[in-house]
Amino acid sequence: MAKTETTRLDRLEETVIAVLLGLMTLITFANVVARYIFNSNILWALEATVFLFAWLVLLGASYCVKHSLHIGVDVVVRALPRGLQKLFSLAAVLACLAFSLLLLKGAWDYWSPFIGKRAFLETNDVPMPDFLQFLADWLNEGERYEKMPRFIPYFALPLGMAFLTLRFLETGWRILTGTQELVIAGHEAEELLEEATSASATDSENGRS
Amino acid sequence: MALLLLFAMVIGLMLIGVPIAISLGLSSIIFLLIYSEGSLASIAQTLFSAFDGHYTLLAIPFFILASSFMSTGGVARRIIRFAIAVVGHFKGGLAIASVFACMMFAALSGSSPATVVAIGTIVIAGMRQVGYAKEFAAGVICNAGTLGILIPPSIVMVVYAAATDVSVGRMFLAGVFPGIIAGLMLMIGIYIYARYRGLPSQPWSGWSEILSSAGDAFWGLLLIVIILGGIYGGIFTPTEAAAVAAVYAFFIANFVYRDMGPLHRPGEDNNISLLQRPTSLLTVWFHDDTRKTLFEAGKLTIVLMFIIANALILKHVLTEERIPQMITEAILAAGFGPIMFLIVVNIILLIGGQFMEPSGLLVIVAPLVFPIAIELGIDPIHLGIIMVVNMEIGMITPPVGLNLFVTAGVAQMSVMGVVRAAAPWVGIMFIFLILVTYVPIISTFLPTALMGPEIITN
Repeated sequence: MAKTETTRLDRLEETVIAVLLGLMTLITFANVVARYIFNSNILWALEATVFLFAWLVLLGASYCVKHSLHIGVDVVVRALPRGLQKLFSLAAVLACLAFSLLLLKGAWDYWSPFIGKRAFLETNDVPMPDFLQFLADWLNEGERYEKMPRFIPYFALPLGMAFLTLRFLETGWRILTGTQELVIAGHEAEELLEEATSASATDSENGRS
Repeated sequence: MALLLLFAMVIGLMLIGVPIAISLGLSSIIFLLIYSEGSLASIAQTLFSAFDGHYTLLAIPFFILASSFMSTGGVARRIIRFAIAVVGHFKGGLAIASVFACMMFAALSGSSPATVVAIGTIVIAGMRQVGYAKEFAAGVICNAGTLGILIPPSIVMVVYAAATDVSVGRMFLAGVFPGIIAGLMLMIGIYIYARYRGLPSQPWSGWSEILSSAGDAFWGLLLIVIILGGIYGGIFTPTEAAAVAAVYAFFIANFVYRDMGPLHRPGEDNNISLLQRPTSLLTVWFHDDTRKTLFEAGKLTIVLMFIIANALILKHVLTEERIPQMITEAILAAGFGPIMFLIVVNIILLIGGQFMEPSGLLVIVAPLVFPIAIELGIDPIHLGIIMVVNMEIGMITPPVGLNLFVTAGVAQMSVMGVVRAAAPWVGIMFIFLILVTYVPIISTFLPTALMGPEIITN
């Protein structure tokens, strides 16, 4: 039961990552098309892409923690005896937690004014979708937003850091209970190997002449 | 002193197994909290500005995505067939063809590990079938794969350009000749080894095979023209070129080669045509292959950009503390000339490259050495190419060489085995590094010829 839930969550996160990257690409591409075929620019294209980029990386960082994809130096820790290795890994998780908690505090300090007394600040070009205008009633004394207010894109910071903290807590627990050895991937080999074997599988399927 | 502490902290954290990105970020935060007035909020802002303050870096996800579509979409396979048709009949021809294929794939992709995976998975097996030693095959691919970041487009060059504000277009052009020379040097090395060892050659397959394989690979190779032509023709910015490349690769993979997506059928030439299933124009957007490729590219982007974003925090700390200026003064006061200085840069980068991920290292080192190089009259483009070549060597030397790990996975060897296998060819890359360092014209000729002389604004 718990297992199907995690895989469902995995799939959701994977789809979000795919959709964010796909949107960035399509918006940038559409802007080129608009410039040459329709002789006009999509004004908000660059700013929107940049914000999607920030969301992709800041939210995706926690997914990569969950699946130990972040790369690091593993020669030293792998050479250690098991007990010592666990100790080092726990210290590493503590360092990661220090990082994410400090940045969570920083992200909150940075973000909260944008939804508090500076909630009127808008982005330069990104339009405000109508279905979000209810935020104007809540935060902007009922005055409609012409452009998307800044607290929306910036929300990636506190949200991303909160997720990151959760995932590091989870990693710490897994290392403590012995279901995981290291925080880091050490290298991208496993994942690339997986990719490679699937690629060579399709290749032999194709039966190269 | 404080600076030493900062770097000791970075290295210490990395050694106990903290991810590189977080070692960089956490050390910078602690440093700022102890030695400077910086608030946590301003650090969070710096983190966010990695995305909304550096438009150049936006090219990275798109180049990664284009490369993902190229790898899954069967472009590598067609490039290899073409390479074998052209150079396969020399002694050691399959190995020479592998280098040639790596050079061509490098011109489509901006990453070295991606090049190793795309080409290596296919050719290492092929080389073993005709009787080459596994070690030889792995060593060749491991080295040739590093051309991925030297031959444009290149993610590492995009990072250098973003860190030092030089033009991405110039950097890309500057990489063309060094990339070709490095490739040729590897090929000549292999040829000499093959004569000496009596390695087999492939039968000469004739001009018709060259033409037909070229025709087959044409749609993939056209991407080079789109990227470089688009940038230099002033049609689009490097970032837009990357996005166009990604969309183009998507269409080629799904509708021309059809090795993925709704028109793909397992088996040789079983792929169905668009006319048989016109609805695939709609379904392709939701096809699972599309989702998977986007996700794979997204994952690589996240890991890489998280390192770069945290390296930018460290860079921010260094600039705040005026460290680059201090180092510049110290080096100039020590009376270093350009030659001595470049030796020092090479040594720092070679050592750093052993432990760090290339892009992160560049973000940190480039701003430190860039002002000195300008003072000493070294061309910034030339400096950039030197750095890229150093990063290439860093990728194939232990303990942290991404290419080593990837090759180990692809060739199913131990990492130490690959290290030994790659070692003789690393020698060629060292000779190449010396050549590139002391003959600046190799790097600067093409950008100067096509875009006019470099104007240095400081």
